[in-house]
Amino acid sequence: MYALNYVRPKSLAEAAKFLASHPEAKLLAGGMTLVPTLKQRLARHSHLVDIAQLRELRGIEVKDGKLAIGAATRHHDVAISAAVKKAIPALAELAGLIGDPQVRNLGTLGGSVANNDPAADYPAAVLGLSATVVTTKREIAADDFFRGMFATALEEGEIIKRIVFPVPKRAAYAKFHHPASGYAMAGVFVVVTAQGVRVAVTGAGPGVFRWKAAETALAKSLKPAALDGAALKVDDFNEDIHVDRAYRANLVRVMAKRAVAKLAARGR
Amino acid sequence: MFHCVRGSNSNTRTFPDTAIVEPHASHHSNRVEDFRLITGTGKYAADWNLPGQLYAWFVRSDRAHAEIVSLKVERALKHLGVKRVFTGEDAVRAGYTKFFVIVNYPGRGGQPIKKPARPSLAAGRVRHVGDAVAMVIADSAAAAQDAAELVEVEYRDLPAVVSVEEALAPGAPQLHDDVPGNLPFDYESGNEEAVKAAFQNAAHVTKLRLEVSRVAPSPLELRACMVQYEPKDESYHVYVCIQGINMMRKQLSFATDVPEDKLVIHAQDVGGSFGQRSAAYPEYCMLMLASKELGKPVKWVSTRSEGFMSDTHGRANTIQGELALDRDGKFLGLRLDWIADMGGYLSATGSASHTRNPSACMTGVYRIPALYGRFRLAFTNTVPVAAYRGAGRPDIAYVIERLVSQAAAELKMDAAELRRRNFIPREAFPYKTPTGSTYENADLRGVLEKALKVADWKGFAKRRAQSQKKGKLRGIGISTVIENTGAGLFPKDQITLECSADGTVTAYTVAQSSGQGHETTFAMVVADTLGLPLERVRLRESVQSKGLIGNHTGGSRSLVGAGSVCKLAAQKLIDQGRSLAAQELQVEPSQVEYAHGAFQARGSKKKIGLAELAKKQPLSVMAEATVGSTFPNGCHVAEVEIEPETGTTRVVSYNAVDDAGNVVNHAVVEGQVHGAVTQGAGQIFCEKVVYDRDTGQLLTGSFMDYCMPRAGLLRAINVEDHPLPSANNALGAKGVGESGCTASLAALANAVVDALRPLGAQHLDMPLTPAKLWHAIQSAKKGKN
Repeated sequence: MYALNYVRPKSLAEAAKFLASHPEAKLLAGGMTLVPTLKQRLARHSHLVDIAQLRELRGIEVKDGKLAIGAATRHHDVAISAAVKKAIPALAELAGLIGDPQVRNLGTLGGSVANNDPAADYPAAVLGLSATVVTTKREIAADDFFRGMFATALEEGEIIKRIVFPVPKRAAYAKFHHPASGYAMAGVFVVVTAQGVRVAVTGAGPGVFRWKAAETALAKSLKPAALDGAALKVDDFNEDIHVDRAYRANLVRVMAKRAVAKLAARGR
Repeated sequence: MFHCVRGSNSNTRTFPDTAIVEPHASHHSNRVEDFRLITGTGKYAADWNLPGQLYAWFVRSDRAHAEIVSLKVERALKHLGVKRVFTGEDAVRAGYTKFFVIVNYPGRGGQPIKKPARPSLAAGRVRHVGDAVAMVIADSAAAAQDAAELVEVEYRDLPAVVSVEEALAPGAPQLHDDVPGNLPFDYESGNEEAVKAAFQNAAHVTKLRLEVSRVAPSPLELRACMVQYEPKDESYHVYVCIQGINMMRKQLSFATDVPEDKLVIHAQDVGGSFGQRSAAYPEYCMLMLASKELGKPVKWVSTRSEGFMSDTHGRANTIQGELALDRDGKFLGLRLDWIADMGGYLSATGSASHTRNPSACMTGVYRIPALYGRFRLAFTNTVPVAAYRGAGRPDIAYVIERLVSQAAAELKMDAAELRRRNFIPREAFPYKTPTGSTYENADLRGVLEKALKVADWKGFAKRRAQSQKKGKLRGIGISTVIENTGAGLFPKDQITLECSADGTVTAYTVAQSSGQGHETTFAMVVADTLGLPLERVRLRESVQSKGLIGNHTGGSRSLVGAGSVCKLAAQKLIDQGRSLAAQELQVEPSQVEYAHGAFQARGSKKKIGLAELAKKQPLSVMAEATVGSTFPNGCHVAEVEIEPETGTTRVVSYNAVDDAGNVVNHAVVEGQVHGAVTQGAGQIFCEKVVYDRDTGQLLTGSFMDYCMPRAGLLRAINVEDHPLPSANNALGAKGVGESGCTASLAALANAVVDALRPLGAQHLDMPLTPAKLWHAIQSAKKGKN
């Protein structure tokens, strides 16, 4: 790690102000991606601005059919939250599948979504549930938020405050862990709402994406078999030393089917 | 009776010449060392600190193969806190250009092994990513690391080669000018002509090309070393993670020409070794030079990233194997063409691990009249390969056991029956193998039948049918193996045993546990022989001050060697005490009886305890023994279920029946087997070091890409003892540290191949990842359609 300064602002406003006046500063929440990057000297920042402790970024609340989760809420807190389990059990389940206990007790929702790792779990839920990302500057719809590998609609100095998830009729998540890293090799979040079905896929492509052919197929028949013929464009799927495109494509279909099968058990 | 810590599979044994003692306090559920180790109070190499210490950071090559055109250190030297920057020129100037290599036996046609120079820092050329080119010394680790980025190295890239087949091919890039063809050693074993004749008469020949993948051993403790040069007696104090002090001294002395008696090695706890911690790595030599030239202690702690590219790797063998059988399934001959990847340089142990070790057990547990193996070592632009838990024995067992199971499948025979038919029969022991080993004893049939019973081999067809109903593919795999333990640089193992005035008995050894539990088992041996509670006995490892001759901990040798000498030492202590007690009690020594720490005159109530004796004069003995190889053997049966949609394998049962000779402590044996089987499972299902074929870049440089086995990989391992005592040592023990690796590779691979066989899938090389199995299932399905 290169030498740097650590600051802990007392409020979100103070954090935003500090960021605005220090172009080389970086926000620190759980640090689950940032800290290893710093340790390997792959990044260099003048300051780390720690917002993990800010009360205004914490908390879980259900109101008017919407579940709002503060950006600095830890994965573990989402996983065990009675409110989340009641409103969107699939979201609690997803949070419990992230990384390992150490990661889940440090990593945060906002950090994961802002980082937008192409194999992270949360983006699948945010996109699948058509959530709204509330920042210090505006509200961003999930469909507009994710912009491909590690890219988002966030501007310089813009901080995620909370994420608001509309409570769906039913939702389910199925994930295949990368055997080494524990990230999603393929993770599929399937959501049923009054408006229809949404299917979000993480881990397979350069960023989280909606599998629209699957959405159409499932709108007609909400059964695993409906996905057999659903077209899946795999040209830009990730290939690495572990897995090729064909296998990832297969995983997407299998995980989607499993998520759909889970929906049946999740009557609401 | 021997009173020990035991697991559920209790095996109580009587030791022929051990006094009968009352049950005592050695019934611990934890090992003696566990409290220290699990409460964070262990002391590892990086935990040593000395006043005024400086810190080293190594600059490592980011090229697989390149000439060093220039190396500029001026900017680094100007960095705040930097004391010196050493380069390959300094290593050469100091004469640090040799590297210790165990092999001292000839190869084919009497040709010796070629040992190219290896300066302690690369001079002129780098041969793998991670090869160290400079060492920066500063007054803080951070300053050294910062300055290391200011060292300017200009490289001229050379073509790199990372596969052995390409390295040995004509026209391949040459790594060492004095080793033409990248072939430092060409070794053979057995009788080529006899094998040729055997194959001519064969009714069936089974052939497989097998890869035993390259793995990164990855002990939990990172490599670390600190050296303090002491000018007044020109000695070097080396604080380092080791497997034994004597082997470390011998190697360091060889590389630096510093006499062994000027090297003082310090170690307390070692967090895993697996063969990887046995070497005197070049970094240690450079730290010696730095400490001497700067007059300060110099400390270096590796990072995990550096570990992947500078700690030796394991296995990395490619083998063409052929097994010839007659009409009745009797083995006639075995032929191997074996290429061992050595990486960019010869390590201390790799060359022996992958020539002599596989030769020693080339016949496996079978009577095979004709054997021939050709073993070629190849240099590639990769991290050097050294011994890794089993050191060639798991590799040869994998080759034989895959061939045997494959032959059984081809002949449509039961895999256990084919083994039974070819076992070396009990009465044929001691068995002299065609490659020159003499197996002491083994009850192969007994081990097999016990394993088949606990694994319910006969009930497999029913279980497979049940899995099939759930859409799963089920397979069963077996391996029956034997291995030669031992190996070491020193002809004997010595133990000093002392009784202090407070009655504490302390054993001193030069061996070093890195998780094997010596503090428990060695102390138990002493306590049981002396009839004392375990609390009164202590083991001190890596003690140099006693001047003991003895081997490192490796090759599953420590209980058999140093451990058994603990028993001899305890007996000697009784004898010494008896003479002294006789004087005190004023009787003839023959009239003195010993029990539970006290000497008593026969037929009298006059008594004197060990502690009282020790108060009057020192009680101290040294015992020794020369202990060669033991031949632990076993049968492991693994059962797997594969999910065809994702290719995921679940190990549904794992049964291990092992003959480790007499067992001192079943829990420790079980722990060794669990660890080694899991290590084997890691290699079979996920671990593999991958290099980019064109650039020689290391692609598995962190745990994000290098897949270590997780605890859930094997949920339950049933370990059963099947002891046939060895006459080789005073305990009747056989080595057990590595046997789990030796047996598990083939048992697990055979199970997976068995599961896929009904689909028509053929052999698959490790690691058997979900993706690989899914693809195999897809192509098998396509083939059928």
